Amino acid sequence: MTEKSYQETRSKEVKSLGSGETEYRYTYAPELLETFENVHQENDYWVTLNADEFTSLCPKTNQPDFGTLIINYIPNVNMVESKSLKLYLFSFMNSGEFHEDVVNKIGKDLVKLMEPKYLEVVGLFYPRGNISIHPTFSYANGEKEFEEIKKHRFINRNINPQRVG
Amino acid sequence: MKLEKLNAKEGTDIQYLSKELLFLAQSGQPYRGSVYIAFKSVGETFNMLDFKKYITSLRSQKFLAEDIAFEIYETINSSIKTANLGVVVDLTARGGLQQRVAFGSEFSVIKKENIFQL
Repeated sequence: MTEKSYQETRSKEVKSLGSGETEYRYTYAPELLETFENVHQENDYWVTLNADEFTSLCPKTNQPDFGTLIINYIPNVNMVESKSLKLYLFSFMNSGEFHEDVVNKIGKDLVKLMEPKYLEVVGLFYPRGNISIHPTFSYANGEKEFEEIKKHRFINRNINPQRVG
Repeated sequence: MKLEKLNAKEGTDIQYLSKELLFLAQSGQPYRGSVYIAFKSVGETFNMLDFKKYITSLRSQKFLAEDIAFEIYETINSSIKTANLGVVVDLTARGGLQQRVAFGSEFSVIKKENIFQL
């Protein structure tokens, strides 16, 4: 693929990136997510997306919650476009979600969007009532290799817990 | 918004910080940051519950990023009497640029490295 045709292909794939005018949504909007094609499908590789500005509301008290989301995945054909992911994550701003629910919801949305080989979402939420909650969602596509990764990471999750204090 | 006034020992150096500042830029894009507040008490401080409500209320308000420190300074200054009030806001990077805006007296901010440590 020439550089020109590469750029043309990429620019057709995504709408929100470089659109000039961005509409920000503040309630859950999974339709904002966009993908582009993985052109390196011959090689499995990891992609990590760090989102340090995640915020949502407590569904009971409406108090704001904050946290970092870490998304690790091994792509198949489709990959999530990062600006659309940013807008999608902003859309949780006025949505009431428990930490455990929001991590699973985002994980499921990304699985539905990309159908990756492997994906995990880790939520590192700020403490509330002196307790910080760190849920992890994980998914593998059924292939033995990726199911083994899921099992390995599940079993070894937080084997060396973060030291606090 | 007015913050409830509480009595505090005169002469006490008081600092407050929050890593949970959120407001909207003029474009509507949410901006995240940390806010640091310092002053010397002249016998007053403000109710923290009120301040939490105030900070939360900013989530739906639009500001020019450079004005956010002034906004917070003015809210405190119009609620209680202080000496040497200063407000510093560290905003997260946008387009690779980080911003720190300050209004009022200068002071050194105390930063906690581990956000999960209270």
